[in-house]
Amino acid sequence: MKNQSRVVDAWPLVLGLIIWFSAAAVAQQKPTVLKGGKLLTVSHGTIENGVLVMQNGKIIVVGAEGSVKIPKDARVIDATGMTIYPGLIDSEDNLGLTEISAEQSTNDLIESSEEIMPHMHVYDAFHAESELIPVARLNGVTNALIAPDSKDTLPGQDSFVQLAGKSSEEMLLIRDIAMPLNFTGDQRRNESWDKRKFPQTRMGMAAQLRQAFLDAQDYARHWADYEKKKNEVAQKPDAKDTKPGDKDKDKKTPTAPKRDLKLEALLPYLQGNKPIVLAAEEANDLQTAVSLAHEFKLRFVLNHLSHSQSVLDYVAGLKVPVIVGPIYEDPKSYERYDAVYGLPAQLYKRGVKIVFASFDAHNVRNLPYQAGYATAFGLPYDEALKAITLNAAETWGVADQLGSLDAGKTANVVVANGDPLDLRTDVKQVFIAGQEVPMTSRQTRLRDQYSGQ
Amino acid sequence: MNRIATGFVLLIMCSLTIQAQQPAAHNDVLIKNAVVMTVTHGIVQNGSVYIKDGKVAGVGKDVNAPSSATVIDAGGKYLTPGIVDSHSHIALDDDVNEATSPITPQMMMIDAFDYQDKAIYRGLAGGVTTSLLLHGSANMIGGQAVVIKHKYGLNRDALLFPGAPRSIKFASGENPKRVYGGKDQLPSTRMGNFAVQREALTQAQDYMREWEDYNAKVKKGDKDASPPKRDLKMEALADVLRGNLLVQIHCYRADELLTEMAIAKEFGYKVRAFHHALEAYKVADQLAANNVAIATFSDWWGYKQEAWDAIPWNAVMSMRKGVRVAIKSDSEDFARRLNQEAAKSIRYGGATDEEALKMITLNAAWIIGVDDKVGSIDVGKDADLVIWDGYPLSSYGVPNKVFIDGDVYFDRSLPGFGMTHYSEGQ
Repeated sequence: MKNQSRVVDAWPLVLGLIIWFSAAAVAQQKPTVLKGGKLLTVSHGTIENGVLVMQNGKIIVVGAEGSVKIPKDARVIDATGMTIYPGLIDSEDNLGLTEISAEQSTNDLIESSEEIMPHMHVYDAFHAESELIPVARLNGVTNALIAPDSKDTLPGQDSFVQLAGKSSEEMLLIRDIAMPLNFTGDQRRNESWDKRKFPQTRMGMAAQLRQAFLDAQDYARHWADYEKKKNEVAQKPDAKDTKPGDKDKDKKTPTAPKRDLKLEALLPYLQGNKPIVLAAEEANDLQTAVSLAHEFKLRFVLNHLSHSQSVLDYVAGLKVPVIVGPIYEDPKSYERYDAVYGLPAQLYKRGVKIVFASFDAHNVRNLPYQAGYATAFGLPYDEALKAITLNAAETWGVADQLGSLDAGKTANVVVANGDPLDLRTDVKQVFIAGQEVPMTSRQTRLRDQYSGQ
Repeated sequence: MNRIATGFVLLIMCSLTIQAQQPAAHNDVLIKNAVVMTVTHGIVQNGSVYIKDGKVAGVGKDVNAPSSATVIDAGGKYLTPGIVDSHSHIALDDDVNEATSPITPQMMMIDAFDYQDKAIYRGLAGGVTTSLLLHGSANMIGGQAVVIKHKYGLNRDALLFPGAPRSIKFASGENPKRVYGGKDQLPSTRMGNFAVQREALTQAQDYMREWEDYNAKVKKGDKDASPPKRDLKMEALADVLRGNLLVQIHCYRADELLTEMAIAKEFGYKVRAFHHALEAYKVADQLAANNVAIATFSDWWGYKQEAWDAIPWNAVMSMRKGVRVAIKSDSEDFARRLNQEAAKSIRYGGATDEEALKMITLNAAWIIGVDDKVGSIDVGKDADLVIWDGYPLSSYGVPNKVFIDGDVYFDRSLPGFGMTHYSEGQ
């Protein structure tokens, strides 16, 4: 008992010290300076012999050597010969939802029992300790939009994550940032004839979606009516005096409608507060999906469009960003071999804002190579880099914090020995929120173990 | 006499017609002003390659070619050998697995070969000129492969690689045990897998003995000797034991790589290559000692349990231990950009550019057994060549023109599908 009371007595002092230390730590964090590298700022061109200063998780200054004052207490890292660029953003992948694809116990990718599952939240499954995450960030991918698998028309809601942090809480930057609506044909329930199940066709999928949105509108109306009546009752001074059996039943305190999480989940999208990620590959599906989105006044970003080459002017007219590809998608038999490779360039030419995505989990690290390959088919280099940095940040509403090397933004910074889009380039160091990420993964550990190191 | 003379004339006319139908006999082309990546003898800046009758007739800085030869100015672009894909399942119309029995060595992939599959053209557009089309991995012993050249647009037999050795596909690990275990059949474990394999090989030994006995009797003049029943399955396995088939084994885990080599030793055949071999880096010394090659992915991993220990350094770590390494596609998609997959070995482990290129040319050709004909730019070899836009071993390399046996089968500059078949200068 004595001991215990002493500990208790000591608490105010301990707490005080903790507060003092952490405050001091935040205020006095040493600036880190990357000096002498080639800065690909994305927002304002390339700076040869650049200086980038980071402190307290943010980029403080970006500029040419000589023009930037290096703080005296700074830790200076010589980045001569290195190329420095903002952390890459993958605009759709499944990191944290799978470990070994063929092992179902490690998968939390999709709830396939029903097609309309908007109340599934990626954040409920996101596994911060996934072995796949270090593998991805070792190649400079620092942020990602995590989506469920696309086998449902409405599989759930996406989260935007940072690929380093102490816990999933810290890594999940924006929960329910967007909601995929998939209309590629893959969502049909193509079981054998004797096990057939609705929806078997595109008609079925579209009807089911329409009904879901109508139900949600109804649901919203019921709640609006309820709120309105509740307010009316609350505002009428005589309302409380209404006796049972009165003719004017409206004046009674109304009963709240039953809550429905599924329909509730659709409301922010019906109200246009958040974007739908509208996925279609072929031109006919695209137009069906867009009609549906227009019908319900949904705000949307387009996804895939791999075989929509015949309607790219129409796409441009929609004036929305496009998550393009993946460009490795096999062309249809009627398409030229480079039809999908060339899609980013074709969209860019028409003024469409494009972003790239890995649409993968294990191979997220290869995101920059897709952007690189698109340049071989006509996409300007700067646009390719933008499509995995600033364009992505703008598309997901985080451009004030991510996507370029600018003062004030989160210090997600990559140091590599060359061109970020070339697959020969070796990433040397990744900073996430100003912290040096350990450049190790399960794979590097295996490599070292069997290299006899 | 008259009849004979007429016949003779007809014969000459026939042979003339046949010759006219074979453009390979006519090409006479000089590609100049190229950076020639030979694979076997370095890189020739401002080099030339002379093609005659479908073969490489000269390569180097200065090449003797007749003035009549058609000249192609490569404009300083890179020129490499045609890419060789040592593990492909394209053009088989999904008839890849006869998954009704774990031992089906009598399956001939040529019987499923769909020579009109667009995937052949798309691989060609990625610079692939030769592919080994293999049985899938549902069965422990799947079937016999077919080797093709990507001469898309010609008839079936024109796509078959002339004189290529026969290969047979074995498989181990998760796939067979899943396929048969899922039906509650043998095999459903790795023990079952190898038991099934050993049993089949033992039966083949018996089959061979029966024939040897019969042949010995016949030789002795025994007229009453009756021949054993011919069994296609056993004949195929007997050819494995006789060393008449190149054995290509789908295998992931290190322990299984060792077991497969031990079984091969036990039954006296050689393993030509392990395919996938994602854990080769763990037993690279043993692979090198047995002269077994690997045909692996550059960085694909995690798609199943036995791919969990895959690391992108596998190719180079194995190579440094003396293993002959090829990067293969095993996918319609990777077959379109094997050059990029090979280039990853520069980043992961520091392969030289030539070593990286070798992984998709000469080493792959060795696995198929056609390294005397393709896989490098050397005099006497088939003129299977690729002129590249951009540097081939980077994110930016795209084939501009692809030659097979000296003829152009892909030309990026052409409108429409960009595919064609023509002889330069004709």
